[in-house]
Amino acid sequence: MSRFIRLDMSTKKVSIGETPEKYLALGGRALTSQFVLDEVPATSHPLGVKNKLIFAPGLLSGTNAPSSGRLSVGAKSPLTGGIKESNAGGVTSQKLASLGIKAIVVEGKEDKGSYILRVTADNAELIPADDLAGKGTYELTALLKERYSEKAGVICIGPAGEMKMLSAGITNNDSEGNSSRYAGRGGLGAVMGSKGLKAIVVECDKPFDAPVQDKERFKVAAKKFAKILMDHPVTGEGLPKFGTNVLMNIINEAGTLPVRNFSTGRFDGASEVSGEKLAEVAIERGGKATHACHPGCVMRCSNAYPMPDGKVCSPIEYETAWCFGPNLDISDLDVVAKLNYICNDVGLDTIEAGCTLGVLMEAGVLPFGDGEAAIKALEEVGQGTALGRIIAAGSELAGRVYGVTRVPAVKGQGIPAYDPRSCKGNGVTYATTPMGADHTAGYAVTANILKVGGYVDPNKKDGQIELSRNLQVATAAVDATGLCLFVAFAVLDNEEGLPTVVEMLNAQYGLELTIDDVTALGQQILNNEREFNANAGFTKADDRLPEFFYEEELEPHKTKFELKDELDEVLKF
Amino acid sequence: MLLEVRLYSGLEIYVENVKYGKPFQVELPSGGTGRQLLDKLNIPQEQVFSILVNGIHRDRDDQMEDGDRVALFPPVGGG
Repeated sequence: MSRFIRLDMSTKKVSIGETPEKYLALGGRALTSQFVLDEVPATSHPLGVKNKLIFAPGLLSGTNAPSSGRLSVGAKSPLTGGIKESNAGGVTSQKLASLGIKAIVVEGKEDKGSYILRVTADNAELIPADDLAGKGTYELTALLKERYSEKAGVICIGPAGEMKMLSAGITNNDSEGNSSRYAGRGGLGAVMGSKGLKAIVVECDKPFDAPVQDKERFKVAAKKFAKILMDHPVTGEGLPKFGTNVLMNIINEAGTLPVRNFSTGRFDGASEVSGEKLAEVAIERGGKATHACHPGCVMRCSNAYPMPDGKVCSPIEYETAWCFGPNLDISDLDVVAKLNYICNDVGLDTIEAGCTLGVLMEAGVLPFGDGEAAIKALEEVGQGTALGRIIAAGSELAGRVYGVTRVPAVKGQGIPAYDPRSCKGNGVTYATTPMGADHTAGYAVTANILKVGGYVDPNKKDGQIELSRNLQVATAAVDATGLCLFVAFAVLDNEEGLPTVVEMLNAQYGLELTIDDVTALGQQILNNEREFNANAGFTKADDRLPEFFYEEELEPHKTKFELKDELDEVLKF
Repeated sequence: MLLEVRLYSGLEIYVENVKYGKPFQVELPSGGTGRQLLDKLNIPQEQVFSILVNGIHRDRDDQMEDGDRVALFPPVGGG
């Protein structure tokens, strides 16, 4: 039986029912976006009683399909005002799926107390936990694991979420207990905070216990898929060796690294904050250059970076190294790690925090390149000062407060680590994804810069619309499966990749899906998300990049972003 | 002609006293190609996936020019 848990924070009632027929074939982003469209009024206040927060493991999560432990979290976003699916690694997706849980829905509202939801094999119980209010995520996770089960997975928010800050994230832990695997984007931590829910403890010690109908057929397909990943040079060698931050140097060399709040495309200090440097320092200090965020991942793109103060930041991802490094004119990896750790502990999206600090530096609130000033400012988030609240409110709001025009955000969400003027395919994605600027929603860096899945010149507009469209459809489908998006590197280059994913789904659920069904699923997800956003008041004017990308040239290629009306065609199916 | 070369992501091990990202000069005959550059540096051709010349992807048989900034990469990815 597939279970559907509903927690009403207004009445404090937990109900465990069977999954509604409509949602049985859905998982991950397919489920969260369908559910939010069905049950959340698009005009509701994101922090109000009518917003609902849904956690859903991907369809393949909890099986031994390689790299399939992704969790989707959905709601109306306080940051963008639109629909949000935020996606995280970590151990809890597999645990939820192994317990036969299709989704956990949190609805209603609680203004006073702090609570935790404890989920076990046969029960789900709401427990008052005022003693845990205000705790950082690292301490909180350790406490809850000690209190309930060392093998529990802990989904939680930090003080930023409790203070309902607009870019607060929701985290869960890796196998070592680090509370650093974030559904970071879009402020869903504030939604969880508005409901008075501090954490969800998932007690389950089995990562691979989800039901599989045809075990033998599944085993063959999963083994084949693992081989496809291991045989591809990026997923089999590049990612395991240096992690995602291996991108720093190639993005810099390609001249599309956003530097000093998107004012130029190259940074002299890029190597100092790159994956190569990270691996070197991590190993020297007894950390790890490679690490899996959940059991059964073959790509192991994560890392563990010991900091000078004795704490360990695990991982430092490329986008985080970028937003706290080149974006702020900082080339000290220890500063980057410290800023990353503060975000993880206080419960904040790193990308949004970095974009916002960039805007504040542009405004002269603190100087570019001043790591100590950035650390001091970011620490104010946890203290809830006025500056701390502005930092945690995101780049767009900070830009408005300080009268800055160079604000890198779409639909209120900060633009990540690839300048759209010289990585135009990603520019199309930033502009048009229903999520607000999101590099993962249609990661055109593949064909633009990495020469994976073909090559489309990043500095020209030709081919970018189609590239982004195809990637957005494929990504939406991948986000439904629970597979890590990085499997796309191998799948895009191997014609057996997608059929093997379909074969795993068919073996697990006793289906006869085809590749066309997968495309249709991806399109359906995007249509649902766009319908929600349209109902919330979004128009095509929201599917544009900020003006400065059209007006200011980016060095070294002297590029501007030119695509405007063509953007309206991207998600028309 | 003189090229300004940078090696990344493990390719630096093939050249003595070179660190990733630190530029060094290499002299090639006028009209030299990426393939000739790799041979001169004793970097196995199959180890190199991307050749960026002044920030633009080039094929390994494309000719380069004096003063070009050349960056060499194995297959990399992330995001």
